[in-house]
Amino acid sequence: MTRPKLIELVLKNLFSKPATVQFPYQKTDVEPDYRGIQYADLTKCTGCSLCAIECPAEAIKMIQIPPGYEGVNPLNKRMIYPLIDYGKCVYCYRCVKICPVNAFITTNKYDIAGASRPTSEELSLSTLKKVS
Amino acid sequence: MAITKIVEVPLVIAEIPIGPQHPALHEPVMLKVYADGEEVVKVEVNTGYNHRGIEKLCEKNTYYKDLFIIGRVCGICNTVHTNCYVRALEYLLGLEPSPRAKYLRVLAMELERVHSHMLVNATMAEVIGFESLFMQIMLDREKVMKAKEILTGARVMADYMIVGGVRRDIDDAKKERIKDLLLKLRPRVEYYKKVFEEDETIVKRLVNVGRLKPVDVTLHSLVGPIARASDIRTDVRAEDKYDAYGEIPFNVVTRKEGDSWARMMVRWDEVLESINISLYILDHLPSDGNAVPDEKRLPRIFPAGDSYARAEAPRGELTYYVMSDGKSMNPYRVKIRTPSFNNIINSAFMYIGHSLADVPVILTSLDPCISCMERVTVVDLKNNTRYRVTVRELASGKV
Repeated sequence: MTRPKLIELVLKNLFSKPATVQFPYQKTDVEPDYRGIQYADLTKCTGCSLCAIECPAEAIKMIQIPPGYEGVNPLNKRMIYPLIDYGKCVYCYRCVKICPVNAFITTNKYDIAGASRPTSEELSLSTLKKVS
Repeated sequence: MAITKIVEVPLVIAEIPIGPQHPALHEPVMLKVYADGEEVVKVEVNTGYNHRGIEKLCEKNTYYKDLFIIGRVCGICNTVHTNCYVRALEYLLGLEPSPRAKYLRVLAMELERVHSHMLVNATMAEVIGFESLFMQIMLDREKVMKAKEILTGARVMADYMIVGGVRRDIDDAKKERIKDLLLKLRPRVEYYKKVFEEDETIVKRLVNVGRLKPVDVTLHSLVGPIARASDIRTDVRAEDKYDAYGEIPFNVVTRKEGDSWARMMVRWDEVLESINISLYILDHLPSDGNAVPDEKRLPRIFPAGDSYARAEAPRGELTYYVMSDGKSMNPYRVKIRTPSFNNIINSAFMYIGHSLADVPVILTSLDPCISCMERVTVVDLKNNTRYRVTVRELASGKV
């Protein structure tokens, strides 16, 4: 019986700190250009709906911009914007690449799991100025 | 003296279902094993637990939506799937990507091959009960996952290929980081290769298990590392020289033993070969031409005709057949044939004569990818007809 080959490595690991991280208390580091959540900048969006047509996961739906916001692109006559359902989204960034006015803002945020299904509503509307 | 009477001795043959959900299997496939005591006398491979109708889904969506659907046929080999489909579309259009795009495509595919082979070797360690080795290999696999994240923007789902090129370029800083990770990974892979060669547990469980003769490989159309481990020199990268493989020097790894151990060793050698290919690409990346085409300007309707592309996936030869009617924005037909389809369905003969404990080892050495291989085509050879079956009929086992 020969000595097990891995024994040195196992002993070394016994006295070193764990390789895993305590997610979600400790974040895993991702690249700055990691394909995370994306949302439309409504000051640029023209409401052309191309992203909703092209989305392979059918995660984008065009909805009305609620009243009480200003700064919407004047070309957006119908006052609609893409609402991304992050539960359905596959993060292929087809919408980002296909947008004729490059209206999508990309982030490297990846931790979207939660009790409620998150959408891009809050992030997209934050690009506009709220009028009281 | 002539035989006057034949006495049949009744044997108690136990029928043991392994799967579709089983601790030794990682994906839903069912092996119905008939065992005489401990010895396997017959195996039936039952599939159909993961059929998602992807080929039909492709006919219902546009060419570009299909690109992302096809990436989800299989998570482990998604860039190879999309590359094969994209090349089929490029053959239809008569389009040639720039040299830089070709090199970047090969880089993505080789990084994927590294992590796929490391995964199956780790799984093999787990199946034979060597959990600490499994964890070590998975820990070092993180390096190549990180390299893939730097290159493509995601760890697994790369979505990297597009008609006419790739979807993102790399700069010098990224190139250096990928190179650094690969140089760190190489000594680890060499170490694991040595462990697989020398460790007594692994050698005892793998050597002489599921031995495949070269004639059996060709008879049953087995492909990929399984064929190469039985000394059949077949590799689509070397045969077709698609993308930049014609310009990159590499060896086709073969072994003569033909057992489960040889199949795993072929994979370790291919990992080292893939790391060398990746390092060569990072050193010799051409700077001419635009690698990233503008997705807004790509053609929506493809000319009428059909095209056929094949690629070397980590598990073997992968083929795509795309047919266009020239009018619609959707393909008329997309036919996928994955390597696991050949390797798993035709592998029932390999288990015979081995003990029950060897069944998961032989299955893992074939690197099954069930999500890849689930296709339904019913062909009645007697009447030479094809017909459709409903899900209900399939589920009830009437077909």
